[in-house]
Amino acid sequence: MQQDKIFADHVSVAYEKDDESLLAVDDVTLSIQEGEFVVIVGPSGCGKTTFMNTLAGLVKPIRGKVFMDGKQITGPSAERGVVFQQFALFPWKTVFENVEFGLKYRGIPKDERREIVRKYIRMVKLEGFENSFPHELSGGMKQRVAIARVYANMPQILLMDEPFGALDAQTRTIMQEDLSEMFMMEKRTVVFITHSVDEAIYLGDRVIIMTARPGKFKKIINVTADCLIPNRRNLGYDDVVNLKAFRDLKRELWGLIKAEIVEKRIL
Amino acid sequence: MTEDAPKTLLYENGAEGKICLTNILGNLMVETRKIRSRKRVILSVLSVIVVLGGWFVLTTVLRWVPPAFLPPPQNILTDFFRLLNKSYVGHTLIGHTLVSLQIVLGGFFLAVLIGIPLGIMMGWFKRIEAIVDPMFQLLRPIPPLAWIPLSLLWFGIGISSKIFVIWLSAFVPCVINAYTGIRLTEPLLVKAALGLGVKRQWDLLREVAIPSALPVILGGVRIGLGSAWMTLVAAELLASDAGLGYMMQMARRALEPSIIILGMLIIGILGAIMARGLQMLEKRICPWVMDKER
Amino acid sequence: MSMKAFGPQFLERIYREKVVLSLSSVLGFIFCWYLITDVLGLIPALFLPSPEKVFFTIYEKIFIPVGQSTLFGHVGVSLLRILVGTTIALCLAIPLGILMGWYEDLDSVMTPIIEVLRPIPPIAWIPLAILWFGIGLGSKVFIIGIGVFFPTLINTYMGVKFVDPILIKAAQTLGAKDKDVLREVILPASVPLIVAGIRIGIGLGMMCLVAAEMVAASSGLGFLIMLGGDNLKPELSITGMILIGIMGLLADTLILAVEKKVVYWKKESQNG
Repeated sequence: MQQDKIFADHVSVAYEKDDESLLAVDDVTLSIQEGEFVVIVGPSGCGKTTFMNTLAGLVKPIRGKVFMDGKQITGPSAERGVVFQQFALFPWKTVFENVEFGLKYRGIPKDERREIVRKYIRMVKLEGFENSFPHELSGGMKQRVAIARVYANMPQILLMDEPFGALDAQTRTIMQEDLSEMFMMEKRTVVFITHSVDEAIYLGDRVIIMTARPGKFKKIINVTADCLIPNRRNLGYDDVVNLKAFRDLKRELWGLIKAEIVEKRIL
Repeated sequence: MTEDAPKTLLYENGAEGKICLTNILGNLMVETRKIRSRKRVILSVLSVIVVLGGWFVLTTVLRWVPPAFLPPPQNILTDFFRLLNKSYVGHTLIGHTLVSLQIVLGGFFLAVLIGIPLGIMMGWFKRIEAIVDPMFQLLRPIPPLAWIPLSLLWFGIGISSKIFVIWLSAFVPCVINAYTGIRLTEPLLVKAALGLGVKRQWDLLREVAIPSALPVILGGVRIGLGSAWMTLVAAELLASDAGLGYMMQMARRALEPSIIILGMLIIGILGAIMARGLQMLEKRICPWVMDKER
Repeated sequence: MSMKAFGPQFLERIYREKVVLSLSSVLGFIFCWYLITDVLGLIPALFLPSPEKVFFTIYEKIFIPVGQSTLFGHVGVSLLRILVGTTIALCLAIPLGILMGWYEDLDSVMTPIIEVLRPIPPIAWIPLAILWFGIGLGSKVFIIGIGVFFPTLINTYMGVKFVDPILIKAAQTLGAKDKDVLREVILPASVPLIVAGIRIGIGLGMMCLVAAEMVAASSGLGFLIMLGGDNLKPELSITGMILIGIMGLLADTLILAVEKKVVYWKKESQNG
């Protein structure tokens, strides 16, 4: 069998809050293949973000191990780039300098860096804003910079933690289409976290539903393989949303999540 | 800092949709603001004229207030021009000012040079914080100018005793703000830097913590300057043989209030100019900080 | 590699080591002081008295008067001065600040005058204050008052001026009249800033107290500090410094406690 790109082996993660240790992720096992787009959906506070931080190496599991290409993950690394919901741009750096940031630490010479930065700023459609500071940009543009910053760093895996959660609905739709396009242009392994069922089905090859805390995997659905026409990445958001397969799947997933919210009273 | 996130969020949601409406409203507001600002200027000018005029009338025309209590405003002006090239208690006005400036700037720069690195280290390294902070907390409540007698005892009446006290007064805010600034570094930005491949502590400090603390650090520098300026006056009032504070103290003994007020005005103006200069420097150094946050 | 060892301190939480280090730092400081003065005699007592000498001075002066009164007397005088000065300053600054924030015309009239007076450090008023009020209570109260007045005024003004406009709009659309808005929205919303201003003001007032008492007084903690220097009795100065430090600390603690009470609706008051 081909080696998994990421393999989480019976992972449990706790986090401290007010000197109390809470179990956020409970005994989760998952393998992700190279080039796959995996989306994790779940109710608020279900440990999605904690799980992603574990994949990133920012948090250490209390039980179990996470492997990338068969090697255990022990700390953060440029191999796994993270896009955060709150953008996390360096406010004192221009757009160009933000995108350039990781490249400096990979020891890439200056001329080459400039080429790469240009390329990815073009990819996220932000030409002309190279010298702007983040506070001069709208939310959508900020997130574009953050995406370019991670893409330019050539990580093998992209971890996206509700990247569009802070954007308004219109901007969000456009960002989803653009991300889908970018994913086709430069195939990377993506792990994507969201609240939105629509977003999950539209973007994900595989969608994982998580339970409320402590987070476990409730169901895993192979969207591309089992449910939808596989070439939906060529279609616009509107067209996909109106497919019957999409609507059926959405109803099913929403039912699962709603049950979770009602049952555990996390309204 | 953490409260910022929802605010920006609120601002960004639907910002596009509001553009037309805000433009119209904006134009209206600019119009009313123009009218208001004109009225404001008139009132401000009137107020200054009334105060100066009242002062003049009370002291010069009606002579209700004796000049030994409050001198007429024109006396202050004439004293200013008189002392520009005539020496008063040892120096001309410019001479006294230069003496004061030298001490303030000397102590202040030493404080910045030592205080900011120390504060940064305290904010970043837990061990240094644990060792330095308690002593700091112990000494902090003592007003710096209370050190003047000890400082005189240690360094004599010369320039070094004053520089020490002024250094102390500016040092404390420099350290505290640098320390607080580093501690307030957004953990998310640290995470982002780690995820982008930063490996060494030093790079994290240099690329993330220090720039993010910079506005707070510069705020501390500004407070330090104000504090240094105030302590200088106290030190010169108490033990000195030159400087603006000394000049004022001597003028008090000679019952010349116009020179006291002259000294106060010069101290105020120089302090305001220096604060303003620092503010401009801040804008230069931190172009990313929006005006509303200043 | 341990992930906990990586990253700045706010990513971790280890307390015990910190307590040990802090305690040993304070004890080490006092011990070094003791060592260089008493044990090794490196520094003459005229320069820096030993900690025990300071301790005994404090103890002794509780019963034996320095100048006109015992230690309690000096503390009491200083306390009285700061209380009177602060009270007068607050009674003037807070109403004026609110009015200036509320009435634009008053703002226009007062701002230029305040902007001229504000940059003058309160301590620079000492010679004039002595000329005007003599060296009694009056001049000290005046100087302390100036120290407290400006920060309180500025913060009150800012607090009133920069209340979130959305709250005002909300109140108006719910039917509140102008004076209701002032009482129900603007005052409560500006309280945190006002209290912060008072805190800064009292800190400054303490400094003014010391300075005024050092320049011209025959009682009070500042007088004690100065006397120690003049009579080459540094232990007296250090006694005064310790007491003024404690007074400042107590005042600050008190204001913080008041702040917590008054600003109960704010999750975390941003002190620091």
